[in-house]
Amino acid sequence: MNVPPVTLRRVFWRCLFLQAAWNRRGMQNLGFAYAIAPALRRLYADPGQRSEALRRHLATFNCHPYTAAAIVGGAIHHEERVAAGEEPPGAPLEYKQVLQGPLAAVGDGFFWAGLRPFFGALAAVGTLLLGWPALVAALLLYNGLHLWLRWTLFRAGYRSGDDVVLQLARLSLPAWAARLRDGGAALAGVGAGILALVATGRLGFAAGAVAIAAAAAGVVALWLRARLLPTAYAALALGTAAGILAVRLRGGHP
Amino acid sequence: MDYLVIAVVAGLAAVERKGFLQAMLARPVALAPITGLALGDLTGGLLLGPPLELLWLGAVNMGASLPPNEALGTVAIASGAVLAGQVLGTGVTPAIAALAIALVGVLATVGRSTDRAIEEWNVRLASRAETLLERGSLAAAVRTNLYGLLLPFAVSALLAPAAAALAAWVIPWVLRGFPAADVPLGYGWVALTGVAAAAGARACRSQRGIGLFAGAAALTLAVGWLAGGIP
Repeated sequence: MNVPPVTLRRVFWRCLFLQAAWNRRGMQNLGFAYAIAPALRRLYADPGQRSEALRRHLATFNCHPYTAAAIVGGAIHHEERVAAGEEPPGAPLEYKQVLQGPLAAVGDGFFWAGLRPFFGALAAVGTLLLGWPALVAALLLYNGLHLWLRWTLFRAGYRSGDDVVLQLARLSLPAWAARLRDGGAALAGVGAGILALVATGRLGFAAGAVAIAAAAAGVVALWLRARLLPTAYAALALGTAAGILAVRLRGGHP
Repeated sequence: MDYLVIAVVAGLAAVERKGFLQAMLARPVALAPITGLALGDLTGGLLLGPPLELLWLGAVNMGASLPPNEALGTVAIASGAVLAGQVLGTGVTPAIAALAIALVGVLATVGRSTDRAIEEWNVRLASRAETLLERGSLAAAVRTNLYGLLLPFAVSALLAPAAAALAAWVIPWVLRGFPAADVPLGYGWVALTGVAAAAGARACRSQRGIGLFAGAAALTLAVGWLAGGIP
């Protein structure tokens, strides 16, 4: 028996709650059981069998919340075979255990270290230049792309089971992540330039120079692994001191 | 009424940030304008959003690690700054923004500790789900997952308005008592935005990050100056 498309869509919707009850013992286990429950209801009419299936999905699970969609889809693929007597009951659990680590690494590397910082920097630069319409456009673009990828991964997992790894490899996500990381760093540089220009326009040339000096000092400090919040507070204090000096040098008139 | 609005925005942001969707709506670049809009000062939110986004661009939940809670920090800073700007009748100025970050920016770090405590607390939910499953209450066991959204909502809905109230009280007191501090604090804000941009570049973990950051900044400054600057 196959899980009907309407149930698959319901499971996908529930995947968006994967981390609702993230906990230190089972991590995303509650979220996984919650997501896959509608499919199990379709596959196992007997409450005893359904309870048994649900129990195996309460085992410890942790993956990237976007790429985990592929594993939820693949787990349904295996549960269909278990329900049909073609695979042993342990097959879905084994599938999850094998894939969660590699897919977490792919998800962290592409989405968290590539796509999201890039779009965060893009949205910041866009907002500085064009205001809220650029922010809305960046968010729509990010979410269109990320939801499409989540759905594509879910469908690929469901249709191909173990072969989802091959399909994922075809997307070349690590190569894209490297490009996005470069793009994000460049966009942050554009942001630094715009913020310095804004400061110059608002408070004069000295303020623009302070912005550039702070960015340069920030690069040195943060690449030497200084902690972020203390560095930010130090910049705030030193910038204020520079402002006091600038006001005094101009005879009290900024 | 304002504090109720802040509580709802902070609570929903806490849910969106990790428990549901993760569509960047709880990122500072979106959340600061949303907070500003909810309190009647979109412009103030737009001033704060981009630098805070760059500052916390690296705040991501890799594996089981916990980053600073940038959403809680953003709501506290943005709402505190907007309320202070309304008290002073100036809107959010760079000086107000600088003081808001100085006063309540640390809430992001506090938020990391509360996130950790929530993850420990959620172990009880996992145990409860297992117990319900043993008793044959399958639907109730599955539904337990959604109860995990309540505590992050409640914690942020309590902490953010408290921090905003502190900022809304202290900032007008400082700027009325020391009006000459306005310009120097503006410089402090400018320096913070410079470090925020550097933090953004660092967070991208690019092997050519320093070169790309410096080159893009220099090119932007050159183009900006040739074009007469940005008003």
